[in-house]
Amino acid sequence: MSLTRSAPPTANPEPAHRRAAESAPKQRNWLHRFDNKRVPYLLISPFFLLFAIFGLFPIVFNGIVALRNWRLDDPTLTGWAGLANFEKLIHDEAFWNALGNTFGIFILATVPQLLIALMVANLLNRKLRGNTWWRVGVLLPYVTPVAASTLVFAVFFSRDNGMANWLLSLVGFGQDAPLDWRAYKWSSWIAIATMVNWKWIGYNALLYLSAMQSIPKDVYEAAAVDGAGPWRQLWRITVPMIQPVLIFTVVLSTIGGLQLFNEPMLFEENPAAASGGSNGQWQTIAQLIYKVGWKDLNLGYAAAMSWALFVIILIVAALNALATNRLGGGRR
Amino acid sequence: MTATAPRLKPRRRAEIGRAPQDTGGNWRTYIALVAVLALSAFPLYWMFVIATSTDEAVAQIPPSVVPGGEFVNNLREVFTLQQVYFAASLINSFIVAFVVTASTLFFCSLAGFAFAKLRFPGRDKLMIVVILTLTVPNQLGIVALYILMGKLGWNGTLLSVIAPFLVSAFGVFYMRQFIMHAVPDELIESARMDGALTMRVYWSIVLPAIRPALAVLGLLTFVATWNEFQWPLIQLNGTEFPTSMVALSDLASGNYVIYRRVLAGAFAATVPLLVLLVLGGRQIVRGIMEGAVKS
Amino acid sequence: MERFAKRGVALIAAGLAGSLVLAGCSGQDLEGGSDKAAEGQVTLKVNFWGDMGLDKLKAAYEKDHPNVKIVLNSGEYNAQHEDLQKKLVAGSGAPDISAVDEGFIVQFRGQSDKFVNLLDKGAASYESKYLPWKWQQSMSTDKKTQIGLGTDVGGLAMCYRSDLFKKAGLPTDRESVSKLWATWDDFIATGQKYTKATGKKFVDSGTNMFNPVLAQQPQGFYDESEQLQMEGGPKVAFDVAMKTIDAGLSANLASFQPNWDQGFKKDQFAVLACPAWMLGHIQDTAPDQKGKWDIATIPGGGGNWGGSWWTIPKQGKNADEAYKFVEWMVQPAQQIEVFKTVGNLPSQPALYKDPAVLDYKKEFMSNAPTGQIFASTAEGLKPQYLGKKNGPTRVAVENVITRVQQGSLKSNAAWPEAVKAAQKAATS
Repeated sequence: MSLTRSAPPTANPEPAHRRAAESAPKQRNWLHRFDNKRVPYLLISPFFLLFAIFGLFPIVFNGIVALRNWRLDDPTLTGWAGLANFEKLIHDEAFWNALGNTFGIFILATVPQLLIALMVANLLNRKLRGNTWWRVGVLLPYVTPVAASTLVFAVFFSRDNGMANWLLSLVGFGQDAPLDWRAYKWSSWIAIATMVNWKWIGYNALLYLSAMQSIPKDVYEAAAVDGAGPWRQLWRITVPMIQPVLIFTVVLSTIGGLQLFNEPMLFEENPAAASGGSNGQWQTIAQLIYKVGWKDLNLGYAAAMSWALFVIILIVAALNALATNRLGGGRR
Repeated sequence: MTATAPRLKPRRRAEIGRAPQDTGGNWRTYIALVAVLALSAFPLYWMFVIATSTDEAVAQIPPSVVPGGEFVNNLREVFTLQQVYFAASLINSFIVAFVVTASTLFFCSLAGFAFAKLRFPGRDKLMIVVILTLTVPNQLGIVALYILMGKLGWNGTLLSVIAPFLVSAFGVFYMRQFIMHAVPDELIESARMDGALTMRVYWSIVLPAIRPALAVLGLLTFVATWNEFQWPLIQLNGTEFPTSMVALSDLASGNYVIYRRVLAGAFAATVPLLVLLVLGGRQIVRGIMEGAVKS
Repeated sequence: MERFAKRGVALIAAGLAGSLVLAGCSGQDLEGGSDKAAEGQVTLKVNFWGDMGLDKLKAAYEKDHPNVKIVLNSGEYNAQHEDLQKKLVAGSGAPDISAVDEGFIVQFRGQSDKFVNLLDKGAASYESKYLPWKWQQSMSTDKKTQIGLGTDVGGLAMCYRSDLFKKAGLPTDRESVSKLWATWDDFIATGQKYTKATGKKFVDSGTNMFNPVLAQQPQGFYDESEQLQMEGGPKVAFDVAMKTIDAGLSANLASFQPNWDQGFKKDQFAVLACPAWMLGHIQDTAPDQKGKWDIATIPGGGGNWGGSWWTIPKQGKNADEAYKFVEWMVQPAQQIEVFKTVGNLPSQPALYKDPAVLDYKKEFMSNAPTGQIFASTAEGLKPQYLGKKNGPTRVAVENVITRVQQGSLKSNAAWPEAVKAAQKAATS
């Protein structure tokens, strides 16, 4: 591997020529023609090749699997199933339950996440002493493996001896009967949303911060005429100006939030169960896909669910982008 | 908190009209930031506290908030737990993250270079394809990918968790943006005049110029790969070749789950990334912030 | 920054070279790991759950067989069975030897073509040594393939904390305690006395009431034609669980989870339904409660909960060595050793008469004669038919019980939910 061998940049560049390579005399041998015509494709081909095999093909193939019987525990049961898997999906309470959970947690996790991130970005968008270190600091949750942090939160939210319940008891809640966070939808959603929020606030704050810093300064000067204070500045000037990044983060959180897997999975007292609570209180779609595919061993049905999830993500992402666009546009 | 503007004090008035990035942070800013940092760090800190405690300390109310002296003990338990393969899992995670990172850097900088500086028919359309693939959720093909790996005979091997991540659309995109700005056209053209072939240009001009971007993309890729959970879980659960994330979930789902042990393992699996954050924090911050502006 | 970047690239390059080599190696290892057998060196991977008392056996066997290395892989109960199923279908990755529990044996004996037929290895001679039903349970339906050799049976008794009983003013010796609860209703009444006296919960969870009571019924979840029969045994067991919860006796701890383990240490419950294999778990979880536990008879009389077999999946490349080890493990000396270390009761009735079992007193359990107690429960056992979907069905119904304990489902509305959940599991 000679990745490290760095030749010095070609010395003393000639005055710029117009597209020298293309107008080169024909005497150049076939090597150069090959270099010009084929090599660019060669350079991009690894990406497209690998993507085709491990990205595109599975997606197409997934469509086929979804239309077939494909069970790991009963390999003899094969053949086309037509739309049977999708039909099953429509009547499957577990699916609708998981869909509801996914959305519930998604909203609890996304809205505060982006709002708080905005405020943190606003804090960071000052002249600060040691500003790099503040930025690195807010990334702590981002680099922490989600498996590791979720396990901490799982202990944090445990019914007996959990720190969350201890904090609640300090302010007078649940002294006689501690809250079982895993028992109810609302409490388990809050617990999981807390984990998601914790992980992504810093990351989003940096995205916002970077957009904020590229806002031309004179915009703020112009706004001085209104006598806008810092808060008004944030909402009236900054937010509309960083709208593209806002949309970007909304789309990102949508794609991520609707595929939520790690947190619900490891929040379980027994993570091997993948059931999202005793009654699927917090089972998300991604978790259900895992359970159906690799615990119930019904890959065909799991494939159908993946498709449904994809369609849902598309719709929601589009709606979100639209709504954010409107909102931002209206503010301006 | 609502955006009610109180009567402005004279000093504050002076700040109006100045861009926030020119305004110095006051004590309130710092207090708020310290609070943000404390909340960010707390779960990590508490992970460490439990990882260093005895069973009794873990179960006690009010919870203990100072580290105990059992870290080495707990860690030893994790590493000697035969069925979890914890030590091996750390090595596996390193292997997977290294291979994926190196491959991503190499292939994505090649493709990024082609998209940024070379002219060929269909270039812009292909670039749009790359950007579109960015939005495809990886859940979508997961079942078929599993079947594919089975046909390749890779199920349950490290190859199965490496292969799908060898390139990333984000990497290509990021490299393209960086190379467009960081490598002057003139430099490339003059090299061409001297008869340098494309690969020569890549090695001698592009690579040296994009080192900072390689560092950024490398760090981000390493972190993301290390933390990958769902796919490795599907592939490697129950094998002797887990990644550290899979080993962690194993540690948390046996019949004898002991919190101090689980979190000692969690801490051990987090440390490498904390080291990276300390060494390369600047680059990671930069990578995230640059990624944002350009998309 | 520049410097870091340079170093970073160098580091990554070096790492790439190194890790490609490593990745190559480990890839190969997976394919060719068993080639080592050619040199006479054999590694046997053994999958099971909990503590089956294998640590000592492993050491002893490896000492006598220097060419054999045994890797013990204890996982979570349900996960181990699901994983085995997955690997059987995938055609690779299964362990050389896998324990299979009673709750899953029907599922696996239906796939007898994926297991080594132990009759081919000479296991037929063991038939007469086993409890007849234990031998039959792991036979394929056509009676031509034996997929497993029995390890233990889970004869039922009731463990109790004599120290806590004393504090509550209840009798503490085995005979008197056994007399407290001839029936489950008596048991619940005793629990109420205990709870009234101490303000503490009596049992660990409703699911650990449900399972033993179900085990005592003539019929479990399924009849022999694989039809779900919820109104029989399951209903009886479910009602007992509901009564226990309604009486406020349950500490609502999920079994085998961290809070349950902590519950032991914090005296959150005073009794625990004890199949023989539970003793190992108690002493592993709460080693300092030595002498505080004792064993009485279980209400309702007898019953079997759990018990396992050693099976050898066909895909393993060391079937002969694996069989040798399995055969060795089920010999009387080893069975007695396991019985003494963790309490698992052998499934070969001759051992029940063996003085080593009969006269054995378990020091940890206040010197209770565990051999006598469990042997007497095991011999009168009538086995229950457990359907192919028994495992998932049990999990589904346990989840409903958990919901009642968590308070998100009323106990009087729970039965229809349990039926629904079971039906779903039966058809999934």
